[in-house]
Amino acid sequence: MSVKYSPVQWTQSKLFYDAIALALVVAYVLIYLRVAPTFTGGVPSADGAIVRARAFGTCAFLLLTVILCIGPLARFDRRFLPLLYNRRHLGVITCLVALTHAAYVLNWYFNFSSTPRFEALLTSNTSYGQILGFPFEAFGILALLALLVLAVSSHDFWLSFLTAPVWKLLHYAIYPAYGFLVAHIALGALQSETNATFAVVTGCSVVLVCRLHAAAAIHETRLARTATVSASQEDAWFAVGKLTDFEEGRAQIRLLDTGERVAVFLHEGHLAAIGNACAHQNGPLGEGRILDGCLTCPWHGFQYRLSDGCSPAPFTEKVPTYNLRIDGEVVLVDARMNPLGTKVDPVPLPLVTQGAGA
Amino acid sequence: MSGQNQTPFFIGYLPIPHGLRLFLVVVSGLLIGGFAALALAIGTAQGNPGTGDFQWGWGPQEVTGRLEIRPYPLLHVTTGSKHIPAGRTLLLSGVGKKGVRPRVAKLDGRLVRLKGFALKRGEIDALQVGDNNKAIVALDGKAPAVKVEPLGRWRLKGEICDGKCLAGAMRPGRGLSHRACANLCLIGGVPPVFVSSAPVDGNDFFVMGDSKGNPLPPEILHHVSVYVSLEGTVERRGNIMVFKVDLSSLKVL
Repeated sequence: MSVKYSPVQWTQSKLFYDAIALALVVAYVLIYLRVAPTFTGGVPSADGAIVRARAFGTCAFLLLTVILCIGPLARFDRRFLPLLYNRRHLGVITCLVALTHAAYVLNWYFNFSSTPRFEALLTSNTSYGQILGFPFEAFGILALLALLVLAVSSHDFWLSFLTAPVWKLLHYAIYPAYGFLVAHIALGALQSETNATFAVVTGCSVVLVCRLHAAAAIHETRLARTATVSASQEDAWFAVGKLTDFEEGRAQIRLLDTGERVAVFLHEGHLAAIGNACAHQNGPLGEGRILDGCLTCPWHGFQYRLSDGCSPAPFTEKVPTYNLRIDGEVVLVDARMNPLGTKVDPVPLPLVTQGAGA
Repeated sequence: MSGQNQTPFFIGYLPIPHGLRLFLVVVSGLLIGGFAALALAIGTAQGNPGTGDFQWGWGPQEVTGRLEIRPYPLLHVTTGSKHIPAGRTLLLSGVGKKGVRPRVAKLDGRLVRLKGFALKRGEIDALQVGDNNKAIVALDGKAPAVKVEPLGRWRLKGEICDGKCLAGAMRPGRGLSHRACANLCLIGGVPPVFVSSAPVDGNDFFVMGDSKGNPLPPEILHHVSVYVSLEGTVERRGNIMVFKVDLSSLKVL
């Protein structure tokens, strides 16, 4: 977190992350271009530009596969959260790798003609009515455009400008981008290959991405089902759980009938409820920890006071607070969120419960 | 739940917790190792593009022969060079994705001298005629007739390609991933060729024309690089085969 503007707020973690991401690309491309040919036993190789296009194209596909696997993996095992932390940089690197692939293709297959390259790209094959021979380049263009939009809008300026919900919605374009890329490969490279290796890799990627997301969706649905609370009376108070459900420094997350998620924390013997979505990227605040008295988001470390949902000065981010009350053994939350910045005094646990919890 | 709660809490702007360091090192190593293994697996699985290539090492070739422009420009060599003997028939193209028809339209059946760089793939010979004015010179003298041997009507299965890339201008110069490039070549006037899955009289490579021996219509572009069957008559001209196709017989296989 910083109030001072800088294009990229470098941290040790980001540098380490980017170094690993670049190492992935460098290792992949160098081995593809330099080492693999020594294993082919003198079989003639394709043109240099084509081999380089293949190297960068397949690398971009694999990077995109990794990017898409990080989210669901982090849902199942929080140790993967550091991979989520700087995923935007991995996305930008993927976009640059894909652009390199496109440049090689454009300057080779679509060069040397009296038709300008970009015009040739769009006009040389117009058989959109057939599967075999379909202009698979169109899917590549769509995937690249989506990756470009994601890369350009990945900066926090756009996150702030568009607001987190719109920005997140925009960045769901990663899924159609992946779909376009798979179609690009399936109707292009795989139709010309006689060796099944890349087809197997592509299939494994699709199965992995789909299965991880399906498993994560099922996991989330189950959590939502068990965490959904409904009003027991005509007013807007919802039961969050029993007093004994709470653990010091942790939250109970509940999905309200309103569609909002609320995180109810127990901190130093007091209960406090705030919105579960971080103001930065809608990260799950309820899975965060309390550090230096502030709730800290597990995604990027944005911090909020539990009492009023505000980031400590000089930061200005805010999330809503909710009113809480204890009815016997049950903790109730008022589903009507308070206006941003509203201070709510944390509710102390009854002494008996505190003693039992200790 | 409790297991997750024991996980060290990572915050990007703080040092990485000790409990996570080993995990992240292992994951990083697995990723880099996995990418390296995949690079090797995918890189070594690339198809063999064949031996076709520009014969740059031969230097510029100067050859003389009888020029034919139907269905596409061909040169039947009468006086060859060190590397291109007399009796060979060359597919002709210009520099880049261009044919030479506009430059030789008035030289059909004439004796000409051509200068350019050769392409060779097996028995396929091609010449990329230079762009300059001296690359095509009409000569006086009689051009010897070329023997034409009809080989009957055939139904062939195979792939329509552009003759220049197939001969080695690009490697690989065929297949669906090369389709747009092949179309650009054909639009530019490079001769289309048919690569048959079964040989006719020992040949599996044919210069294409329509049933009357004229250039193919633009509709053929929709069928380039796709496995198709076509019917038509085959004839041998010099040492090259010409497949005059009945386009209504085209079937995508």
